[in-house]
Amino acid sequence: MIAPKHILGTFDEALASLRNNVLMMAGLTERSLDRAMKGLFQRDDDLCTHAIADDEEIDQLEKQIDKDGVDVLLRFQPVASDLRRVVSAMKLSSNLERMADQATNIARRARKLNQHPALPEVELIRPMHTHAMSMFKDSIDAYVREDVQLGRAVVPRDEKLDELNRVASRRLIQRMAENPDQLRGYLNLMFIARHLERVGDHATNIAEDAVYAAAAEDIRHQAYVAPT
Amino acid sequence: MSSPETGTPPRPAFEVSNLSIWYGEKPAVRDVTIDIPSKTITAIIGPSGCGKSTFLRCLNRMHELIPRTRIEGKVLFQGEDLYSTGSDPTIVRRRIGMVFQKSNPFPTMSIAENVVIGLKLNGVRNRKLLDERLEKSLRMAALWDEVKDDLHKPGMSLSGGQQQRLCIARAIAVEPEVLLMDEPASALDPIATMKIEELIHELVANYTIVIVTHNMQQASRVSDRTAFFYVGRLIEFGETTQIFTQPKEKQTEDYITGRFG
Repeated sequence: MIAPKHILGTFDEALASLRNNVLMMAGLTERSLDRAMKGLFQRDDDLCTHAIADDEEIDQLEKQIDKDGVDVLLRFQPVASDLRRVVSAMKLSSNLERMADQATNIARRARKLNQHPALPEVELIRPMHTHAMSMFKDSIDAYVREDVQLGRAVVPRDEKLDELNRVASRRLIQRMAENPDQLRGYLNLMFIARHLERVGDHATNIAEDAVYAAAAEDIRHQAYVAPT
Repeated sequence: MSSPETGTPPRPAFEVSNLSIWYGEKPAVRDVTIDIPSKTITAIIGPSGCGKSTFLRCLNRMHELIPRTRIEGKVLFQGEDLYSTGSDPTIVRRRIGMVFQKSNPFPTMSIAENVVIGLKLNGVRNRKLLDERLEKSLRMAALWDEVKDDLHKPGMSLSGGQQQRLCIARAIAVEPEVLLMDEPASALDPIATMKIEELIHELVANYTIVIVTHNMQQASRVSDRTAFFYVGRLIEFGETTQIFTQPKEKQTEDYITGRFG
């Protein structure tokens, strides 16, 4: 943290602990998403099972962060940047928990796909995965470094992810018509694309909360104007 | 917010420009410029010795009661210079009332006498008018129901919180336009404090209120605007929500988050 030390040491400790739990949750969520996607691409059920099992710990961290956040609000009545840090930690934890749920969903779909011969259309998912994970990492970086510019830059990148999702869906629907035998597999891939699209939405929320925490600016729900 | 959002803003109650105050050689307030809007609650916060009480007192010339004070700059009240030669401090203090940190009912007087003493000193003798104003002031101070059967008991027989509300009733009995409050709830328990805060919210419909407080939560609860003073200077003045969520000045941020010094 950039701010000088608080007169109350216990307050600084409570804020640091809140932040550490958010970072741990972000780390676990990233690992969970990685494992689910590797489980899909490498057709590895064990990785999928790990991703699903990790969700429990992430859920518990969400509850812990909410409890600690309420505790800090109650005991220290934080204001200004301290207040924004507590509020953003609580909002981040809720977004991370939902991202981890998406990892679980992806892992479940991947396990189903792994029971059947590989579909080459899985490659449609790869650019979405790369894009969603880079949005996620940058949003967390923006939060960690209180980097307003980086946070701001994450938000418009969600458009590209939405477009990739549309492209993948169109292609998969086309393949369903051409090859109805693989309908189930294509549907699972469509769902995975949709889950990754949701990951991008949560990364956007995190980036917006990072900007709020750092600069007290609410950048949500603004019409994005492309740079000319 | 108490101020209407329409058209041109009404004239501020106080227009203070380049105000400096010294106690002897010691500067207490330095070059303060601030407009305090009418019929709103303005909180003044800052560490001990930052000049906030001195500033408050100069808004009704109360600081003149302290020897060897010197003042520079201008204080306009409703557009009139408070310190012009023709201005009578007694009249100023009737129009701009004050409530202090320690409740100070007159010890020899009853509850009723405490409330109407200001009117009597101003020459009001009409029994009916005095009785009306007594009840109205006690009602406005949210004390009437608690004392209406004990009006002739000594003011000092009341609890601390009630005594403070009695002092507020005394201040509003003379129908001032402004209430200056210097830590009005700092000696009170939380329930009495909330009653005072609730009262402040009700009074702002008719009065301009300026409150000095050490309690930051209180400032954020009760006020529309907050001014932060430090070593005699006005560091920042803005909407209370802005001051407590995104202060512009680092000194304000450090003070309100407890990272001072």
